[in-house]
Amino acid sequence: MYGGDEVNAIVIDLGASAVKAGYAGEESPKVHFPSCVGAITRDKDAAEAKANGGAGDARDVEMAEAGADASTTPKKESDAGSKSKANGSDATRDLYVGHFALNYRRENMEVVSPFDEETGLLSDWDLVENIWRHTLTDRLHIDPTEHPVLLAEPNFNSKECREKSLEILFETFQPPAVFLAKNACLSSYSAGRPTSLVLDVGYKSTVAAAVHDGYLLQKSVSRSRLGGEILTDCMQRSVESKGVNVRPRYAFKRTESKQNKGTFDVKDLDDYKGTTTESYHRWSVEQIVSDLKETVCRASENVFNEEEHANIPTVAYELPDGTEIQVGSDRFKVPEILFNPGLVQTFPGAEAIANPGGLPMQSVTSLVMESIARVDVDVRKELYNGIILAGGSSMLPNVRERLEREVLEQAPGQARVKVIASQNVMERKFGVWIGGSILASLGSFQQCWMSKQEYEEKGASLIHLKAP
Amino acid sequence: MASAAGTPVDDACVLKFKELKSKRKFKYVTYKIEDSTIVVGNEGAPTASFDDFVEALPENDPRYAVYDFEWETKDGCKKSKIVFVTWVPDTAKIRQKMLYASSKDKFKRELDGIQIEIQATDFSEVEEQVFRDKCN
Repeated sequence: MYGGDEVNAIVIDLGASAVKAGYAGEESPKVHFPSCVGAITRDKDAAEAKANGGAGDARDVEMAEAGADASTTPKKESDAGSKSKANGSDATRDLYVGHFALNYRRENMEVVSPFDEETGLLSDWDLVENIWRHTLTDRLHIDPTEHPVLLAEPNFNSKECREKSLEILFETFQPPAVFLAKNACLSSYSAGRPTSLVLDVGYKSTVAAAVHDGYLLQKSVSRSRLGGEILTDCMQRSVESKGVNVRPRYAFKRTESKQNKGTFDVKDLDDYKGTTTESYHRWSVEQIVSDLKETVCRASENVFNEEEHANIPTVAYELPDGTEIQVGSDRFKVPEILFNPGLVQTFPGAEAIANPGGLPMQSVTSLVMESIARVDVDVRKELYNGIILAGGSSMLPNVRERLEREVLEQAPGQARVKVIASQNVMERKFGVWIGGSILASLGSFQQCWMSKQEYEEKGASLIHLKAP
Repeated sequence: MASAAGTPVDDACVLKFKELKSKRKFKYVTYKIEDSTIVVGNEGAPTASFDDFVEALPENDPRYAVYDFEWETKDGCKKSKIVFVTWVPDTAKIRQKMLYASSKDKFKRELDGIQIEIQATDFSEVEEQVFRDKCN
């Protein structure tokens, strides 16, 4: 048992698009950065050549943004942690973790994710370790051996993944204690409903799961491929089909005109061509389109109809390079995908949307219905009455109202349907993290930790008993 | 984890509940978490009405409550059940919500004899009709 009143636990929520981390007991996470990582693979020869020449890297350092927080500047060769064997071959790779490190374009830098495309679970443990190190040491500036760590985990996490997480945490960072908690449980706690149905609209997928008295009902977990990524992708296709070229930030330089104050000159930078990787380009563009989506999109109150919405007033949005675009019916059409996934096909080139995990393209409403149908009849009524909406992609206006209406139409007559979504932006966006923050700071929770000693005596598999 | 994480319960809580259950000394009892212990909030005389009970629930703060619910079935038969209510309004502070949510399970188990349970987040969920639907 791990105890004491002042535990100063750290809560980490490593999501598909962003890492949220901070101290337990606080109201919002201290640290928030993308969960994908920049990686430059160098084979042995190149690494040696660079050690001799070293010119390329000197330039990198020079050009790094002046405003960048010193703590987030990526570590170079001197730090063994950021350099690692890739795929067991002779090649090594330099990793760049965090927002600033990633925003700066580097030659041949790929953007990679620690999650497996197929399962949606953590698979590149080398990246995970670096993300945790960046979080604990570079951003929170703490000594990991002094703080217990609570990790939020996906509802469908596998036993192997849980054990591996523990192994790496305990062996590498040696925290005094660790606990794993399911996303859905944390969301339901932060909404004050220990029995509820949590619909988490994430980046890579959407998950519906029933929580009963604080425990996840495993058989109720159902997933759909829909998520923020697809919405952003469709938004981009729609914008590009209108002839707009979304220029990533690294591809141009924008300065205030000397002659005309208040106007800007945009100059294309050419030297990026050829050395920028495809994945980095995609990531940079996605950042811009994602912001566009969050700014202009809203769910339609009723089923979307292209003709009816054709006369909607357009909304203007200025891209970083100063191009102004007008968004009309797509404002409603893009979020409509959540309710009617078939619409994806109407976006140009949408066949190309990757779906390696083979997850169904299921609407959020049918996901809720399916999840509820899988649990005991006795609990269903209570679940209809407490559907909690969570996840970054559920933040678009009107999604809550629309979901409530659709579920009400399909639910059995006597059921009272209520969709709960916090009005507070922070509570919505960081719901899982906040749940973890409060759980880890409760005095009565302290007996639940799995301590380092227990790990050493009983091994990682004990976690399945400690945190079912 | 819900069962393991529980706030300590003041002895008076169980005592009052037993008086409600066996001697029918109260119509309802509310409980609150104060200084990280569950203590008795207030209690209603046996003659108290349903509205009195609703008034005992604060607008912006969570509470637990037990209510001795009596009703008449269609064939005129009088019945009663003890209802456990978790009152967590949407407007409550998130820390409070969390605290009440995580302590509920263990607390409920200390009160032996609860037949029905209701989770409420706004006043539309604490109406006589809702209680009756639940009990039937």
